[in-house]
Amino acid sequence: MSQSTLRWSLIGGAAVLALAAGVYFGRAAFTGAPGTQAQAAIAGLALPDTTGQEQRLDQWRGKVVVVNFWATWCAPCREEMPEFIKAQNEWGPKGLQFVGIAVDSVGKIREFEKEIGLNYPTLVGGAGAMELSKVLGNEYMALPFSVVVDRKGGVAYTQLGVLKPAKLNDLVKQLL
Amino acid sequence: MPPSPVLRALVGFACALVFAGAAHADAKLLPPEQAFFFSARALDDKTLEARFSVTDGYYLYRDKMKFDLDASAARLESATLPPGKVKEDQFFGKVETYRGEVVVKLPLSPAMAGKSVVLVAESQGCADLGVCYPPTRQKITLPIPEPGKGPGAVVEAQPRKKNWFN
Repeated sequence: MSQSTLRWSLIGGAAVLALAAGVYFGRAAFTGAPGTQAQAAIAGLALPDTTGQEQRLDQWRGKVVVVNFWATWCAPCREEMPEFIKAQNEWGPKGLQFVGIAVDSVGKIREFEKEIGLNYPTLVGGAGAMELSKVLGNEYMALPFSVVVDRKGGVAYTQLGVLKPAKLNDLVKQLL
Repeated sequence: MPPSPVLRALVGFACALVFAGAAHADAKLLPPEQAFFFSARALDDKTLEARFSVTDGYYLYRDKMKFDLDASAARLESATLPPGKVKEDQFFGKVETYRGEVVVKLPLSPAMAGKSVVLVAESQGCADLGVCYPPTRQKITLPIPEPGKGPGAVVEAQPRKKNWFN
C-alpha cells in the first residue's frame, strides 16, 4: 500500500469514527447519564407498599437493586416481569433485589401480583411516580422504566423499555 | 483497489457504535402530546369534532379514549367511537387500536351558539418501540359558531413543534 493511500484511509476512517462516536455518545448523553438529582431521588426514595406501610429504598443498601416502574395497563411491562421473577429467584440469594414501583391502584396491583406470582415487593407509586421516574431520566414518563442501583446506592444504569435478559445478565455479572 | 484493512476495521467499529446507539429505545421517542396530536373544531352549534393524529410507529387504545367538557353549561351526548383495528393481545385479549387519523363526532347538548366550551380528551397509547404512556389528558377551548355560520376554526391542543429529526 502506498503512503498516500494509507494516509487517506486513516483520515477517512477517523472521520467516520468521529461521526459514529458523536451519534453514539450524543445519544447516550441525551438518554441521561444519572446526574446528582437522580442520585438524590434514589437516596431519598420512600413509598408505601400495598399494605400502606412506608418502605424506604435504602433498606436494601448493600444489594444490587433493580427499581422497575410498571403498570397493569402497560403490555411491555407485563412482558418483562416473568423474567424478573426468574432473576430474583436465581440471583436473590447472591444479593440481587427487584423492587417494583407501580403506577396503578392498590387493587389492580394486588390482583396482578397474585396472577403472576410476584416474588419481590411492589411500592405504590401513583401519579407522582411518573415525576419521580422523570427525575431518574425517563424524560417522557413512558413505561416500563428500570433503574439499576449498585451495592453502594449509586445509579449504575437506566433502561426505558423492556430490560432484556441479556442486558440484565451483563449488569448482574458486572455489579453483583 | 480494495479498501485498506485499517479503514475496514474503523468502519466496522463505527457501525457497531451507531448500532449500539440505535438500540436505545428512547433514542427517538416523542412526548405523548406529539405522538398523539390532538385537535378539534366545532362543526356547528351542536356538534364538535375531535381528531387525534397518531404518528407512525405509535397507537392508541380505543377503550381508553374518552371525551368530556370542563365546567360547562352543556354536556356531551354519548359519542360513537370509530372502529379500531382489532388485535388479539397476549395480555389484554381482544383490543382495538387506532393508528393514523382518528376523527370522532361529539354531539353537544344544548346548542352553545356564540359561546365557547372546553373539550377534554383522555387517551392512552404506546410506541412500537416497546413503551407505553400513562393516560394523558389534553384540553382545548373551542369557540362555537352561530347557527348557519359553518364550522369553526381548528384548534390544536398545543402548537405542533417542528422537529427535523423525528
